Amino acid sequence: MGINAQTSVPTFTAGEVLTAANMNISARTGIPVFADSTARDAAFGGTGEKTLAEGQFAYLESTNATQYYDGSTWQSVSTTPGLIRIVTSTVSAQSTVTLSNVFSATYHSYLITLSNMSGTDTILKATFGATATGYSYSGREWKYNAASADRFASNTTHIEANVIGTAAGSSSLIYIQNPFLSITTTFQLMMMSNKNDPGAIQQQGFLNNTTSYTDFVFTMTSGTFSGTITAYGLVQS
Amino acid sequence: MNHMYEINCLTGESNERSMTAAEIELVEKVKQGALIQEQISEQRKTDRQAVLDKLGLTADEAAALFG
Repeated sequence: MGINAQTSVPTFTAGEVLTAANMNISARTGIPVFADSTARDAAFGGTGEKTLAEGQFAYLESTNATQYYDGSTWQSVSTTPGLIRIVTSTVSAQSTVTLSNVFSATYHSYLITLSNMSGTDTILKATFGATATGYSYSGREWKYNAASADRFASNTTHIEANVIGTAAGSSSLIYIQNPFLSITTTFQLMMMSNKNDPGAIQQQGFLNNTTSYTDFVFTMTSGTFSGTITAYGLVQS
Repeated sequence: MNHMYEINCLTGESNERSMTAAEIELVEKVKQGALIQEQISEQRKTDRQAVLDKLGLTADEAAALFG
């Protein structure tokens, strides 16, 4: 039991002498802290204790949870996030980078972000594990100073993760579904290129197999790239 | 070129190491695939230009018409 934990939430009667001990377990404590839910339940409703009612807060040391009483049960104050960060890494002048063990049974869908990318003027490619066949995608490229164009490929060796430019600032959002499950892996990709001939690209596609993958590999076919890579898992429920 | 920067998402640790034979093979395959994609892309541009020339349109005029 920690220093803030209490065993009673007192109530006071008219004319009662208010002692320092009384104050230390009431006015000074803010949200009352309990060792666990058993201690919490025992602290209300007894002789000299406050009657439990809607709006009461409590903190449990056993689970590090803040709760409130809704009139019938204790509810959790915190909400479960929908997006969990798996890893963040800033790389410098690398030609090949692998995110090993990024895919697992924990999540079905993932978001991989590339930010502040720079390097050799070329396309940064990506593959699932060591698979270099079966990638198909379609999309479009919009340039600020040139004509737009369709951008697609059938049964190629990779997906296009980003169009790197020597100036920093290119970025990508890569959404991936089911890379770990033994069903078809699909992906959607949005990127902004800060290359000399800048523009935006959007692509959607799939990998035509049912292999289970744990790794995601970035490859520069010439030169190197720098930037920050972050992987998130999308919580399923 | 034969170095792999590995970010282990289980441990959060990163390290630079020599590539395995399978990884070297992967890079070579991706390189070949990228080259083929580039050739296909260039061919599409050539084909598009041939059509524009036949129609007597500039690239800007075609973009204004077709996006």
